Amino acid sequence: MGLIEPYLPDIWLFIIGFFLLYYAVADGYGLGVGILSLFARDEEERSIMMESIESTWHDNQTWLVLLGGMLFGAFPLFYSLVLSSLYIPILLMLFGLIFRGISFEFRSNSDEKRTWSLSFGFGSLIVTIAQGFALGGLLSGLPVKDGVFAGSVWGWLNPFSVLVTAGVLAGYVMLASNYLILKTHDEIQQRSYRISLLSSIITLVVSVTVHLRIVAMYPHAAGKWTHPPDCYAVWAFVLLAGIAFVLLLVSLKQRREIAPLFCNMGIILFSFVGMSVAMYPYMIPNVIASPLTVHSVAASPDTLWFMLVVVMVLIPLILTYTGYKHRLFRGKTTGIGYESEKGHG
Amino acid sequence: MESLVDHVTLSRLQFALTAHFHILWPVLSIGLSLFLVVMEALWLKTGNIVYYRHCRFWSRLFLVNFTVGVVSGIPMEFQFGTNWAPFSVAGGDFFGHMLGFEAAMAFMLEATFLGIMAFGWNRVSPRVHFFSTCMVALGSSLSAFWIMVANSWMHTPTGGVFIDGRFVITDKLAAIFNPDMPWGVSHMWLACIEISVFVVGGLSAWYILKGRHVDFFLKSFKIAVIAAIVVTPLQILVGDGSGTAVYEHQPAKLAAIEAHWETNPPGEGAPWKIIAWPNKARQDNDWAIEIPYALSLITTKSPTGPVRGLREFPVEDQPPVLLPFYAFRIMMAVGFLLFFLMLWTAWTWYRGGLDADRIMDRKRLLHAWIAAVPLSYIGMETGWITREVGRQPWILYNMLRTTDAATNMPASAVGGSLLTFAVLYPLLFVLFVYFAKRIIAAGPAEAVPPRQRLQGHRHE
Repeated sequence: MGLIEPYLPDIWLFIIGFFLLYYAVADGYGLGVGILSLFARDEEERSIMMESIESTWHDNQTWLVLLGGMLFGAFPLFYSLVLSSLYIPILLMLFGLIFRGISFEFRSNSDEKRTWSLSFGFGSLIVTIAQGFALGGLLSGLPVKDGVFAGSVWGWLNPFSVLVTAGVLAGYVMLASNYLILKTHDEIQQRSYRISLLSSIITLVVSVTVHLRIVAMYPHAAGKWTHPPDCYAVWAFVLLAGIAFVLLLVSLKQRREIAPLFCNMGIILFSFVGMSVAMYPYMIPNVIASPLTVHSVAASPDTLWFMLVVVMVLIPLILTYTGYKHRLFRGKTTGIGYESEKGHG
Repeated sequence: MESLVDHVTLSRLQFALTAHFHILWPVLSIGLSLFLVVMEALWLKTGNIVYYRHCRFWSRLFLVNFTVGVVSGIPMEFQFGTNWAPFSVAGGDFFGHMLGFEAAMAFMLEATFLGIMAFGWNRVSPRVHFFSTCMVALGSSLSAFWIMVANSWMHTPTGGVFIDGRFVITDKLAAIFNPDMPWGVSHMWLACIEISVFVVGGLSAWYILKGRHVDFFLKSFKIAVIAAIVVTPLQILVGDGSGTAVYEHQPAKLAAIEAHWETNPPGEGAPWKIIAWPNKARQDNDWAIEIPYALSLITTKSPTGPVRGLREFPVEDQPPVLLPFYAFRIMMAVGFLLFFLMLWTAWTWYRGGLDADRIMDRKRLLHAWIAAVPLSYIGMETGWITREVGRQPWILYNMLRTTDAATNMPASAVGGSLLTFAVLYPLLFVLFVYFAKRIIAAGPAEAVPPRQRLQGHRHE
């Protein structure tokens, strides 16, 4: 216990990172499908798109609730600072989640399918934009004084955060198109191959620009790229992300069905880890005083221990039953609808 | 009341609005999921298709209700960080991980198995489906447990010390099993069951009254009556216990709920006010209709037991009086009305009045059940007003004041979000009513049980 205790906040950072990553991938494709549904040719296409995530979008979204709760418990200062500093994007995200959240159930009960498809599409778009600005706002640094946010409620709105938002938009669309390649066929699938290619190139360009900007903004992050031993890890993950990207392009060219989504997950995993290594140990880049480290925003060791024990039991359990469910609902979407299974048997 | 537009007041209004709206939905999710477990168990046991059709019918209502519960629930979790940042820092060590437990232990379970419950009829065996329904019910009740643990801890924060504006946990179990927790959890969980019992019973009564599917809904009506026989008296007993806990741990709150200003001198009993007009400026009631000795008797179980009056507490530590006083009385009246409705129905049943050929003539009884639906929700909401307004001026009882716990930010930002909630939530309510009415108007379908899942069958 004594050996692990100093590393508890780091262990928790790892766990929270996993939650964030899982959420970003799982709800990322869900939100991306929502954005893409806005460009669908007709209601039938929208039906297929919505149906492709109908049985799983809700548990995927629940990782956000899990992330929020665990962040609150493990890093109370981080949770309160970040959420209160980014008030407008966070609230915007919550409002977007309302529109997205009601769309499936209300659509299946309604004759006005189009209204609820739009609620799904625009809700997803609002959530994505809000998450982009929240991330962009955090990465642009928060003015924190005496443990309290000391900036403007509009501080998150700047050219850099617009760029980050564009990256998040392109990234979610890229994930969604790779997901639709797996879940659909014919017209939608063919179009998804083209969208995937386009959005992956945009995502790459934006991500590289964002990374360069971060290196320019934060000297400690720049140091990670040049000073051993950290630089080995950073470059290794950049290299892995690069390989995954090349494999994605190849799999798209070969019209593979499963590989693109997994390559995409690889890209996200490696670039996320690389980025985390570069930022570590800072959780909140502070623009007026010293940045807040993982240890300074964590809960008391007792709390972290207690939560750790509980979470170590729960995570395998959650992964088991969610895995079972994903397996249960695997396979192509037909467009006939689970609705027929649900509504009247 | 000095200013209606400062950020603290606006954040409080926003929390009050979102919390009061949100709580409408999980209560039915919790109770109805248990009802679905009962119905599905009956189907599996008896093979009677009527129970299967009950499952399908009620689960449609369940899903619409659940949807509004989820979308209005997510803002609750995030609002602690956005609007109550100082509270999140002060209480995060305990409060935060209770919310984390809720998500990981309960909500995830509920969300995942809900998908199988809703979409899995043809994909999984009846046993696996039944298991999924059970997990949804377990998840939703566990969820209520953790949320009420967190909430009750705000009322009786034990298990640690409050230093430098932060609550540091020293004894986790003491914090979880804080004095208010057993009462908070059981009172709220029973409220969920009680409301669901009257929703199921009230809707069944409506169909019977209309002469639609009378035999079908007589089954659910009778199950509701049986549940009401157990739940309504139990809730009154637990409510009484809950009041005793308030007397012991939150004396100022009890005095406010009862508009009790002056401690009764030794040897004299404190009276219970049936109604009164409390006047905080005068620190007294302008007028009151009282039952002598009753307050001492109810709270201390002795006719002359001492009950501390509000004047013993500094004015700045006194909760508002008018709102808890009347909210409590409405809640109590509802609890007893539902209890009497149960007695009336049980008596009618005993006399054979609930037989299929006679129940149609019990119009008054059926109307009373329909009226009990909104009434039961009113009881729950007024209960929450009593509980939370009575806790004021503290967010963390006797440790952190609500006014010190709100995020300091421009009132315009909070005003904007409050306005958006104030537009969106009524809209959600209207949409729910619209879709619920459609489902109710359509009534139960002539559903056929799913074919046994064929080996390797997929939706391809």
